[in-house]
Formats: sequence, C-alpha cells, structure tokens
Amino acid sequence: MTITAPGLELRQLSRELEGRRLLDGLDLQVAPGECVALLGPSGCGKSTTLRLVAGLDPASEGNVLLDGEDLTLREPGERQVAMVFQSYALYPHLSVQGNLELGLKVRGVPAAERRQRIDAILDLLQLGSLRHRRPAQLSGGQRQRVALARALLRQPRIVLLDEPMSNLDAQLREELRPELRRLLCGGEQPVIYVTHDQQEATGMADRIALLEGGRLQQVGTPRELYENPANRFVASFLGRPAINLLPMAHRRQLGLRPEHLILGEEGPLAARLLRREWWGHQQLLWLESDQGPLRLLTSAAAAMPPQPRLSWQRRHELWFDADSGARLAP
Amino acid sequence: MKLSGAKALLMLPALLLLVAVFLYPLLRYGWLSGHASSVLTGLRPVPNGGANWQRLIEDVRFWKDAGQTLRFAFCSVALELAGGLGVALLLHQPLRGRGTLRALTLLPWALPTTVMALGWRWILNDPHGPLNAALRSLGAPSYGFLTTPATTWFFAVLADVWKTMPFVALLLLAGLQSIPADLEETLRLEGASRIQILRRLTLPLLVPYLSLALLFRLAQALGVFDLIQVLTGGGPGGSTESLSLYAYLNAMRFLDFGYAATVMLATFLLLAVLLGVGWLLLRRARIARTTGGPA
Ligand SMILES: Nc1ncnc2c1ncn2[C@@H]1O[C@H](COP(=O)(O)OP(=O)(O)OP(=O)(O)O)[C@@H](O)[C@H]1O
Ligand SMILES: [Mg+2]
Repeated sequence: MTITAPGLELRQLSRELEGRRLLDGLDLQVAPGECVALLGPSGCGKSTTLRLVAGLDPASEGNVLLDGEDLTLREPGERQVAMVFQSYALYPHLSVQGNLELGLKVRGVPAAERRQRIDAILDLLQLGSLRHRRPAQLSGGQRQRVALARALLRQPRIVLLDEPMSNLDAQLREELRPELRRLLCGGEQPVIYVTHDQQEATGMADRIALLEGGRLQQVGTPRELYENPANRFVASFLGRPAINLLPMAHRRQLGLRPEHLILGEEGPLAARLLRREWWGHQQLLWLESDQGPLRLLTSAAAAMPPQPRLSWQRRHELWFDADSGARLAP
Repeated sequence: MKLSGAKALLMLPALLLLVAVFLYPLLRYGWLSGHASSVLTGLRPVPNGGANWQRLIEDVRFWKDAGQTLRFAFCSVALELAGGLGVALLLHQPLRGRGTLRALTLLPWALPTTVMALGWRWILNDPHGPLNAALRSLGAPSYGFLTTPATTWFFAVLADVWKTMPFVALLLLAGLQSIPADLEETLRLEGASRIQILRRLTLPLLVPYLSLALLFRLAQALGVFDLIQVLTGGGPGGSTESLSLYAYLNAMRFLDFGYAATVMLATFLLLAVLLGVGWLLLRRARIARTTGGPA
C-alpha cells in the first residue's frame, strides 16, 4: 500500500448500477482544510460521488481513505461525515433547535453540552432569533443556514455539500459565498462542494474537479482549468460565454475564447456583425465569419470598424482533435 | 371562502345526496325515538314522550353491548395499527418482488366481509372445521370455538384484524413513502440506529397517517355489524353482540321501530363524540411537511 497524504483520498472509486457505470474510476485527493468543487453537468455523477464518500451507497470498486485510514466498508454513522443535501433535509416536525439537537441526542451528548454547542453554532450563523421556528416557517436562505449549522455541529472529519445554494436566488448565492467559505474552508476538514455552477465553483473552491459521464475530466485550480484545459469538454464547460470552436484542416479544431478575440481592421478572419448584447462594462458580439458563427467579448466602448476583421494571440490558441476532443499540441 | 352562484350550484347535488342519505334518516330517527312504533301500536307511530330514552338508560343489554362494542373496537383497532405498522415497514424495505407482495397483502381487504366471515365460521366449525380436524389429529378433543364466549370474542377480533390490517398497512405505507429518504440518511450519518430512526423520525412523521387510520378504523369498528352477524350472530349468549346488531334486532326481529331508532341514534351519538375527539387530536397532529427547498 502506498503512503498516503493526510486528508481525503478517493482511489479508483466506482459505482455500477444495473450495468451502468454511474461513476468510473474516480481518483481525487482533498487536503485537510481544502475545498474541492465537484463540477459538472446534471447527471454526471456528482451526488453519486458524495453518497459513496458518505457511505450511503456502496462502492462497486475503489476505496475511500481518510488520513490513510480506509473507510470504504464503514457504516455511514462511523465515518464522521457531515453532509448538506440539495434539499437541506431538515426534520419537518422539529424546530430549528430540535433539528440541531437530534443528532447530538442520538450520539448521547449530555444535555448541558448539547445546549452549549447549539448556542455557539446559532450565534456563529446568527440564527438565534429563529431557534423555535419550524423549517416551514423559514425562508430558503434561513433553511440553508440551519442545514449548514446542523452539519457543522457534527464536528465532522469530512464535509460534503451537495449544491447547497441551488435553491437560492442568484443574489443571495453571491452574498453567501464568502460566509460559506469562511465557515467551511481553512479548518481541519477536507470539503467537497458539489455544484453545476462554474462561477460558484470558482468562487468557493481551491481546486475544481470537473466530471462528465461519471469520469473525471480534469482537476486543478480554476485558473489551470481555464488556461490549460485537458480536452474540449473542459474548455467548453469553463468560461462564459463559451469558447468558440473553429473547424480547421486535418480534422482539428481551434478553440478561441470570446474574450481573446481582437476586433480590428486586420487579422486572418473576416466577420460580419449579427447582434450585440450589452453587459454593462462589456459587450458580447455575435459574429458570422467564414469559419462559422463566433462570439466575441469586448469592452462596451469598443467601436465597430467598417470592415471588421478578427485576430488573436498565438498563446491563446487551444487545439483539439475534432473527433475525440483530445487536446493537441499547437 | 365566498361561494359564487355557479359554485353553489355545482355543490348542490352533493349537498342533496348528503341530506338524503344522512341528514334525513338522522332526523327521522330523532323523530321516531320520541314515538312508540311497534306491533303493539299496529306499527303506527304514537308519541310517547321520553319513554324510549328512559328505557334505553335502564336497558342493561344496551349498556352491555356498548361495552362489548367499545372493547371490540379498541382491541381490534389497536392490533390493526400495530400490525399494520409492522407490515408497512416491511413492505417499505427494498425487497425483491415488493410489488407482488404489496398486491397480495391487499387480498383480505378486497374480500367481502360476508364471504370472509363465512370462511372463518367454517374454519372454526365444531366438529367439521379444519381447525378442529387439526386438533383431533394431534389427539386433542374438538373444541367449540364459537360456543365459548372467550374464544368467540377472540376470533371475532382476529377476523376483523385479518381483514382490515391490509388497509391500515397500505395507508401507513403511503405515509412512509411520503417521507423523503434524505431525512433518514441525514440521521444515519449521525450514527442513529434503526430503532432510533423509527422513534425519532419515522413515527413522528407518521402521526398524521396513524391518526387517520385510527379514525377510519374506529368509525368502522364501532359500527361493526356484518362480521358479527355472520360469524357469531352476536352469540354465544349475546357475548359478542354489538350496538348495531342490537339496533337491527330491535327493528327487524322485535319490530320495535321506535326503540330501534333510539338505539341507533344513541349509537350514532356515541360514535360522533368519539370521532370528534379523534378528529381534534388529528388536527393537532398535523405537521407542515417542509424539509427545505424553496420557501
Ligand atoms: N438510484 C439510481 N438508479 C439508477 N440510476 C441512478 C440512480 N441514482 C442516480 N442514477 C443515475 O446516475 C447518474 C448520476 O447521478 P447523480 O445523481 O450523481 O448526478 P448529479 O451529477 O448529482 O446530477 P445533478 O446535478 O442533476 O444533481 C445519472 O445519470 C442518474 O440517472
Ligand atoms: Mg445531484
């Protein structure tokens, strides 16, 4: 057995159900205090991964290790995992306090200590005034905080969050991000944060693991994934508006991000303006070129030349195999 | 809620039906209970003041039957709830062939009570029933299951439980299925045992369904008639006679319609009070079933 680093390690983790590979040989390491975002389109196996780590579903192959200790066959209750579900899973018959207390009761924590820990966490999340409310009497954001409080109260060794903000509106999501980071990350525990929102992943996580069809596509810092994508899927999934893919000779594709295209009177590509989208300080131009439609992101002040042509820097070129989508050397 | 003309009109048929099958008979019983109407009066209603009610208060058989009915209802409903919960929990497990099992469980409920009661009467028959045949093959003498009050009562309860437990189980199964799986999973992650999950999560969330089953079954069991009529005929020695059967006997055998109406109305009032209390409890048990998600 190889020597393992502290933290969470998933080794060749797989789950097969009715002949379908829901998760296929996932290798992933999360250091203590690190927050890794598990990112990918709907149905790619994000929740499946979390359930395997939590032990709620059995792995068909592979291992889950924490600080070198193999958890794969442990009962969920023995793993000291805290999980926040997409739905929050608050106990509907209990008040906020009851929701926080039940887990402690079940684990036989004495009443005085329960009280003290609950008070502390309610304080931390500023939930004190909601203490006696039922989940039905809370707003979406408040429910999310209660679910978070309940997870943190567990003093977990691993924190798993399954799209904890998907039920909130965009503005609240953005507001809560720093708070969530402050509460979750930088402690002792490895954190896996599932989301299908790349902006949230970039904002929350130290590293991003991008999943598609049950397979890990790439793992790295947001910047690594953006600048140096392993394949076409990674290149198109990250970055909004999405990358332009131009068909080239020898069954190759040239990927150029909309923000890397330069609008001017010279350049290899002639283009015609179809539509403009105003984005405040920027504008998105929908163009038609000899190589097909293109998106170009530029400053809102940029003027449209009479005979517009497009250019770019060599270092921004991303080449892919047109068939497999694999990244090619330029 | 405000009723527009159209809405009121749409509700009219239901309202008329309710008046015809419920309110009218009730008022009629009320009226009849103030009259003597038997063979002695030539079956013509003759006002007799409160004589019927006076007689009811002093009627030992009525009060004995009331006690028997309550005892029967409480025992069988308690057993049905306990058994139904067990069956529901079992059917909720991810078993192979669960669908078939669920359909099979419903079978006794689908059987008409009369057929079911006749079946039980045959099983318990002395000396020709299979139960006595089994006893004899073990070398024991035949036993008069339906001529001994204690065993007759026991088998009446058993037959009722056997028939209606599937209904309770199905209702509770629906309740179990309404509980999101992630609640149980969250508690499992806390290290809760199965018993703890049942006690702290499942049962509290099932309370509305349990109360509903209780109410439904209590209403039926307190009015029990066909099972008793076919299985025991109220015997032996009136030991299994229910209030409904007594009312029926007063009307159809003794042809004392005035008194039968009085018994009927008293039974109804008893039932209404019990169910009213049950309903209040049910209302208090109602839970806002929100676990999270959008507000
Ligand atoms: N119990 C199950 N039986 C069969 N297939 C399942 C089951 N649970 C999940 N799947 C399949 O496994 C795949 C991965 O599901 P998973 O829930 O992990 O996706 P996800 O990445 O979390 O998606 P989302 O963003 O929509 O939550 C999906 O294709 C789904 O259809
Ligand atoms: Mg999911």
